This record gives sequence, structure tokens and C-alpha cells, in this order.
Amino acid sequence: MPLTEQSILLLAPNPAAAENGRKLSQKGSYSGRRRTAGGDLYWAECAGSGKNPYRVSADFAAGGDPVCRCSCPSRQFPCKHALGLLFEVLGQKPFETAEAPQDIAEKRARQAARAAKKESGAPAKPKKPNAAAQKKKLDKQLAGLDMAERMVSELLTAGVGALAGSSAQTYEKLARDLGSSYLTGLQTSFSRIALTVRTVQRDPGRAQAAYGEALRVLIALHSTIKKARVFLQRKLEEGAYSAEDTVLFEALGGVWKLEDLRAAGAFRENARLVQLSFDVSYDEAKKEFCERGWWLDTASGQIDQTLNLRPAKALKYVKGDDSRFDLLEIPVLCTYPGEGNRRVRWDSANSRPITAQEQAALPALAQPDLAAAVKLVKGQIKNTLLPKYMAVMAPIGRIGMAGDVFVLEDPKGGRIVLRDRAEDGADHASTARLAALPEAVPEGSALFGMMFYDGADRTICLHPYSVVTPRRVIRLLY
Amino acid sequence: MSGLQPLYDVKERLEYAAIAGTGLLGEDFRLQRAAENLKPLAAASPVFAKIDGGLTRLLSAPPEQRPGLLLDLLALVDAVAYTQAGTGMEGELAPLPVGSGRYCQISYGQIQPLLAALTTTGGGRVETVQSAWDNHPEFFQDYRVLPAVIGGLGDSYGEMAELCAKLLKTLGPSVVPALRRGFDPDGKKEMARRVEVIAAIEGAGATPWLREALPEAKKDVRAAVITALGADQDNAGLLLDLSKSERGKSRETVLRALALLDGEAVADFWRAEVEKRPENVEFLKTSRTDWASDLAAASLRSLLEEALPREGRNTQITREGLNALTECRAAVLGKTSAAMLDCWRWIDQQLPAFRQVTSAPGLHFHLAGSLGEWLLASLCQAGPGPLCSLCLELWEKHPKEPRYLPHAVAASLLTRSAAEVYDTFSPFVPTAKPLLGGEQKKELHNAVLKGLSRVSRDEDTGAYLVDGVWPAAQPLDPRWIKRLVHAAWRTPEGGGSAYRYGEAISGFDTILMRLADQRDPETRRELVPYLRQRMRLLGNYQTYSRWLFQLGGSPGGVLGEAMKKGKPAYLYYIWELLNDAAKALPGDEVAGLCREVLDAKWIRPTGNELFLANQALPWTIEQLRAGKPFPAWEDWWRMRK
Repeated sequence: MPLTEQSILLLAPNPAAAENGRKLSQKGSYSGRRRTAGGDLYWAECAGSGKNPYRVSADFAAGGDPVCRCSCPSRQFPCKHALGLLFEVLGQKPFETAEAPQDIAEKRARQAARAAKKESGAPAKPKKPNAAAQKKKLDKQLAGLDMAERMVSELLTAGVGALAGSSAQTYEKLARDLGSSYLTGLQTSFSRIALTVRTVQRDPGRAQAAYGEALRVLIALHSTIKKARVFLQRKLEEGAYSAEDTVLFEALGGVWKLEDLRAAGAFRENARLVQLSFDVSYDEAKKEFCERGWWLDTASGQIDQTLNLRPAKALKYVKGDDSRFDLLEIPVLCTYPGEGNRRVRWDSANSRPITAQEQAALPALAQPDLAAAVKLVKGQIKNTLLPKYMAVMAPIGRIGMAGDVFVLEDPKGGRIVLRDRAEDGADHASTARLAALPEAVPEGSALFGMMFYDGADRTICLHPYSVVTPRRVIRLLY
Repeated sequence: MSGLQPLYDVKERLEYAAIAGTGLLGEDFRLQRAAENLKPLAAASPVFAKIDGGLTRLLSAPPEQRPGLLLDLLALVDAVAYTQAGTGMEGELAPLPVGSGRYCQISYGQIQPLLAALTTTGGGRVETVQSAWDNHPEFFQDYRVLPAVIGGLGDSYGEMAELCAKLLKTLGPSVVPALRRGFDPDGKKEMARRVEVIAAIEGAGATPWLREALPEAKKDVRAAVITALGADQDNAGLLLDLSKSERGKSRETVLRALALLDGEAVADFWRAEVEKRPENVEFLKTSRTDWASDLAAASLRSLLEEALPREGRNTQITREGLNALTECRAAVLGKTSAAMLDCWRWIDQQLPAFRQVTSAPGLHFHLAGSLGEWLLASLCQAGPGPLCSLCLELWEKHPKEPRYLPHAVAASLLTRSAAEVYDTFSPFVPTAKPLLGGEQKKELHNAVLKGLSRVSRDEDTGAYLVDGVWPAAQPLDPRWIKRLVHAAWRTPEGGGSAYRYGEAISGFDTILMRLADQRDPETRRELVPYLRQRMRLLGNYQTYSRWLFQLGGSPGGVLGEAMKKGKPAYLYYIWELLNDAAKALPGDEVAGLCREVLDAKWIRPTGNELFLANQALPWTIEQLRAGKPFPAWEDWWRMRK
């Protein structure tokens, strides 16, 4: 994989580390720059705050991301010294050719031995689930569902409007109890209700909107409880304790591992993905940042999403994700259960620049027209367990303004209002950027964005994220 | 009314019921009426019939079942509302405009901090924007970033707004359309800065747009437009007209703009203006024309003539008189016309009289001395040219007096070879105290130092600059350093830059350090022992130690003694000093400094600092001797009680 600034930024644990690395390179902190004749290992000394410089290296022998090593005590990986070394390589600073140092050669040998052992070793035996423990867990989950249902019933009897006079702590405690009952999905729902209480008490002017949001949470919660009870009771009766290919598993708080997804057959092979957009949002109820990438499968036109969840408390320790502009070739692409934009994950991928031919073919992967896209979205949002929006790519006939409203017209003359989705917040505002695009949208382009139902005027609208032209993807967001 | 209105009415009533509580469902006659209105739809479609059935079950259910039924029904009604939702909008579609800038592939990690810095508040934003500019100036052309940079012109933090203005000016003509789009002549600071940026980019080319904007422009924007008009000589007529119509601050802006212009009509205007309002001569400070110089000279001479002793009685400068002189001074500095040179010659002739002039109690203003300072300031502002010759002429007229010696030193540095400057003026800096005429010679020494104090070495370029602007004709003769190190007097004593540790630094040593080429081995050989000796004598170890570090020297052996010249030290300041030492010196040397600090026992005894020092310093010595890096302050702080 060629070294680019983008690949260094993606390798960095956070933007600050990359920036600090760049500064080290800029201020000339590196000395004794060496590289092997084959150019697969670079090493140097980097001046730190102490007397002795750190010994830092970047090893490209394994292909893919370089293996970075540094003698500094930083807990960030790669550290700023290693990232700075990569900037030195990128900046084509002079490196003398030399033999690989003994210590690094030894580490490489050990690493190769480990890889060979892993390659040749027998596949790990599937773990046998502990039936008694699983049964106990299911019982606890069912008890938790009863507790949640009682609370929902009490809340509806008294009225959502009574939230203003209640204590947020009541719902927070219930949320914690549900977490203890292995129902983290329901825990989040009650955390959202607790947030509503706080919002209404802090800002009574927002009460109506907050009650509306709480009601949507309760509707989904009620539906989840009903379906979950059937689901869990069936599992209990059948003694089937493994993860299942259903959205309910996740809605209850189940966490998928890649091997579980592979075992459940939820994967595609040799997928090629291009990112259409990237954004970050903060979920106050979960207290976590969600870094979301929207990906287009260049073969099927399917739009998937990647989610990198970073709890606010552990932000420093969870590597961040970022926008990607290259095409990814993914040997095994695991897909989460669900409909519409399914969550995807992979453990290895090769990235390369997208060719002009591949780029030119992207807009053709859009829905045939707006009507088809709208039908798809309506099919999803009426399901109480699924999000009330869906990412779609629609063909552009023309984009213009009817009065002060942005409108997309498809080549068949179908129209949709373009509007920012209020729930996404001001940092996702992108519709107005259509009027600032630095070039006219060429024929044969498509518009990618979030289609959603706007209750204010009871219409389906599109929140534009990117303009996909035959030449490039112009991102309105990130 | 839409055909689906009954559905929406039911939805609204159900939502209301959920908010009010299912306990009140039976009393909600509006819900019952909405249910009635739905019946025709229910008869026509199975899905509406399902809703109708759900309503009937809900209204007839026992209270404990109502919450579940209500939520089921709401889910169904929502689903139907979603499927029935409309799309699109009728009407003619106006095409979208094509914006400015271009599209850059910028990742979230790069663009988001930049946009946040430009559009939000909080600390560290300027650094973020500057760093992005240093690494990726192309980002600022991006169509998402450019509007944020323009918006940044209105940032409430002035430094950020100034930075945005600077960046936009650098980006050049490509940003002008974006700056003009959305321009509001009735706006505030952001709009005023837009004018400033457009004018800076386009210069005289901005005139048509400025003239168009002027009639609507208000307050800050008007001032900016008028100022910008001063960049084009063709606007002289318009500005002269404005000088008649504008009032107050706005007229002052017109005057500032007119001061940038030349021409007979403008000169005539200023002659009349200064005659009518002498204080307005101050506005001519930016003009470099001969007529402005003549006017400034005439004003100064007129004010000084008034101050001359009359009829055998001394005069006194009042506060008003001082204000008038100060305003006039601004216009005089840097002016070099023949009339101005004559004015300085006249002042020189009148010096004995000016020495008799006193000032009102409390003013502490000495006219004769101040006039000398003004000439030096004027020379340093004007740079090489007629003022240099004048200053040298005046000094040659009074070669034994210190009055014009600083001027002569500065003028010579600007115009003569380094060796000639040294050979001419170094004799005024004796290396041994004279047996006769010591005081007089010391004054001459001080005068030379005053001239040298206007010069400093730019560490980046190695050039010697007068007042940080004008390059000396040649780099300073290195013999000066040795001469100064061995000078008979170390004056001026004060006036040096006080370091942040509250140390009042010797002015003489500050001048010496500003003149020294710190990388030159010979200079280092001279200065290191000298500074160690000065540190031992004066204390001020924070400053002298850092000067020594810069020169590759160490304060080892004198640090403890120097510390005791001042008050007991804050331990954190000591850590900072040793940390700086660790960046410049080998570990063993730093360990030795730690030992010296420890032995000096001169740490503040309050707040556990002494205890902490006795813990941290021995530990640090061990660390350094074991080849480990100098510890962070946090490592020391953890050792507190």
C-alpha cells in the first residue's frame, strides 16, 4: 500500500498524535535516518525531552499498515515519534541505506514465526456455550423485560407529560437495572427517557418536542419488549443459546463478534467498497461517539455502513476512524443482521485509488428513480425496530430551488425536497452547501443522502451528504 | 383538507392521549370524534379498518391494558402515516449558482477541527487554523472551508479575525467573488474586514466596487470603504468631497485616506486643513510626500517658536502644549524633506534656549532632551537617506558632546562599512577607566550604547536590523563584542528586558546579547566567562543561565551563589531552569546543577516546596547519572507530602 498523508492519519490513534508527529518532522527532530536497501524498513533517532533520543522504526515488510516500534514510554500506538518518522518517509527526507539493526531483525523473525504458527495451526475449536449460565441469563433478561414493561405501562398511564414532574434518577436507575439484566438496548431507551426528563426540566420550552421524542422511544421500546419476549422464550424452550441473525439480538444489546457473523453465514466475499460519506455524532444517552462511514458496494450498489463506537470515557484509548477516499478490496466482508443499510465490518482490506473507469460507473449504481428510493425507505421506516431514515443514492436530473426550498428532480421528473434532518444537529447541515458547490453538477450524476420522514409537513425528504459525479465524489459533509 | 386528514387527526389525538395519560382516555371526546371521522376511510381500506378496530379496542379496554394498546395503535398509525407520506414540491426550479473555491479531498479528522476552530469559540483555535494553513494552504480554497474563513472575519476574538483576513489576502483574487457574495454594507466588523481584504487584494482595482458600496455603507463598513478609497489616487476628488460632507469619526477616516494620496489638490487641502486645525497634522504621519514633510516641519517649528523663552522670561510647557507637540511628533517622524532637515538644524541652533524651557508640575517633560529622542526615532523610522547625513552633520558639529552620538552611531550603521563604524565609535567605549574626565567619557560611552541599542541581530537570517526594520549596511564588526565585554562601564544598568521571573536585567548585557552572533565560536569564548562572572555578581540566574545555554555554556559553579543573591526560589521555576538545561547540556552537567541547587538550600520554605526539593533533586541526580532523561514536573510533583 503506498504511503500517503491519508494513510498516516488513518494509522494515528487520534488527530493530535498525527499533528504532533508532523511537528516533530517539521522541526527536524530526526537524526540517523536509515533504510534497508529494499525500502521495507525505515529507522531513525528522534530527539525527545530527555538526553537520549528515542529509537523509532517503521516496518513495511508485512504489507498493509506498517509495524511501528519506538523506545519511548508512550501508551499511544503508534506514538508521535513513529508517525513523525512516517512523515519523514513521506516527505522524502534523505535516508542512508544500511543493514536492518539486529534487534529489529530479531523482532521481525519472531513475528514471522508467530504468523507461520498461526497459519499452520489447526482452527480453534468453537467454544461450547455454558448452557446453565445461558439459561440463567435468559431468565434474567425475561425478568428485565417484565420490569421494563411495567415501567412503560405506568408511564403511559400517568402520561408522558408527567415526565416533567418526575425524577430523571428513577429512569436512570431502571436503565442501570436493565443493564444488569443483560438488556443494554433497553437500558439505552430508558437513558433517553431520563434525558427527556432533564431536557424538559431544564428547558420547558422544548417540552413538546421532547415528549414527541420520548413517545417514539416508548413505541419502539414496547414493540421490542413484545418481540423480545417471544424471541427469548423460544430460545429458552429450544435451549438455543447462540447469537442469531436477527436485529432483535442487537436491539436487546447483543454484541456481534466477527467470528460469530462468519459462523452465522453473514458475510460477502471479495467485496469492493467506496466510501460516499463519513460523519461523527455524539449519543448523549449512550455517552459515546459514533463514527459512521457510508459505503457503496461497487458491484451491487448496496449501501452499507461502518460504525466505530467510542465511549466518551475511553475516547483516548479507542482508535478513531476517518474519511477514506480510496477503494477498498475486502476479502471477507461481514454483515450485521438487518435491512436497508446494514452494518459491515472486516478485519483486513487492501486499499487503492479508485480508477477513472470505476468512478464513472458509480452514479449508475443509484436507485433507478426517486419513486423506487422512496418505496425502499418507506418499507424500512414503518418497522418499529429499524431507524426512521435510510441512506440512498438517487439519480440527478437537476437540482434547483423552488422559492427558498432545495429540490432534487430525477431524470423521470420525480421530485423530492432536500432538507437537513434536524435530529442530526447543526454540524451535519449540508443542504445549503449545494448552492456553494464549486462546479455545476454534470449530467449522469447521483445524489447520496439520508432519506427520512419529516413530521412537520408529512413528507419524505432527502438530507444530501454527497454528490456522486462520474469524475469524483463531492462530499457535502466529510 | 387532505383526504388523509382523519388519519392525521387520529394520530394527533393518540399522541395527545399518550402525553396526557391513558387514565384520561375515556374523557377525550376529541379522540372519539376523530375515531368517528375515520370510519369512512375504514370502510374503504383494510389498513384503516385495522386502525379503526384498534381504536375501538383501545377505548373499550380496561385501564391496565390501555398503555399497551395505545402504543400498538400508535405504531400502526405511524407506519401508515409513513407509507402515505408525500414527496416533492411543485413549482419552477431555479438553477443553483456555482460557488467559489474548489473541492478538496479533506478527511473528517482534518476538516472538522479546522471548521470548529473557525466557527466556534474557545482556546487554541488560532493555533489550529495557523497549523492547518502551514501544512495545507490548499484546504482554505475548499468550498466548505472558504465560507468559514470569511465568516471568521467577524470572529469576536480579534486575533482570529485578523488571521482570517491575512489568510484571505494571501489566497488572492480567487476569493474576491466569495467575499462580495452576501456583502452587507449595513453590516458590522465582518463586513468591514471584507472591504479591507478586497481592497488589499485588488488595490486600485477595487475602486468601482467601493464607490458602489459607499452610499449604502454604514459605521464600520463606511470607515473601511473610505480607508480603502485612499489606495487609489483617482479617488482624491471623491475623498476631498467627502471631507466636506462627513463628520466626526467618519471625517477622521477621510483624513487618514487623504493622507495616503498625493497631488496638488490634496496638498492644497492639507495646507488649509492644518492651518485651520493644526492638531490634524497628526494624520499626515503616514504620508511620505515632501509637502507633508514641509507641513509637519512648519507645524513643529511653529509650536517650538511659541515655546521659546521670550523677553528674558522662561516659558513653561503646559499639558495642552505637550499634547500639541505629541500630535506633531507623529507627523514629524520619518519625514525627510529639505524643510524638515532645516527645521532640525534650527532646533540645534536653538538648543541653549530650549534647555531653559520647563514643563508644568507633574508633566516631567524635558523639551531639549525629547527633541533629541525624536530625531533618533525619526532617523530609525526613515532609514538610510537624508536624515542619516543630517545626523552625521550635527554630530560632526558637536563631536565632543554626547547629544548626537547615538544618532551618528545608528546613521553610520545604516550607511557605512562595519569596520569604519567600529573604528569611528569604539574609542568612545574605553576598556579602562580614564584617570581624567571620567564622567564626561561615561556619558559618551552611554551615548554609543544608546545608538547600539537600536540594533539587533536576526537569528534566522543573521542580518543586523535597525529598529527591526532597516538592515545595517554591513553585519556588525565582531570586534564590538570583545570591546563591550571589556568595557570600562557596564552602563546602562537598567532598561534590559525583565525576564518573567521578576529579574531586572542589566541594559548593557541585554544590548550585548542582542548584538552577539551566538553561533560564532569566538563570540562564545568571550561571552561565556563574562556572563558567568556577571551572574555571580548580579544574581539574576534565570536569565543569565538561559543566555549561557544559548551560547553552549553552563552556569555550573556559580548557580548556587547567584541564587542566593535573590529571594528563595519557587521550585517550579527551578524545575523549568533545569529542564531547559537538560535540553542544552549533558546529563552529568545537569546533575551537577541539581546538586548545586540542593546545596544552596535556597528554595522557598513554604508550601512543602523545600520538602519536595529535597525529595526530587537527589532522585533526579540519580536518574540523570543512570542515563535517564530529565523528569517531567509531574514526576516531581508526585513526591509531595
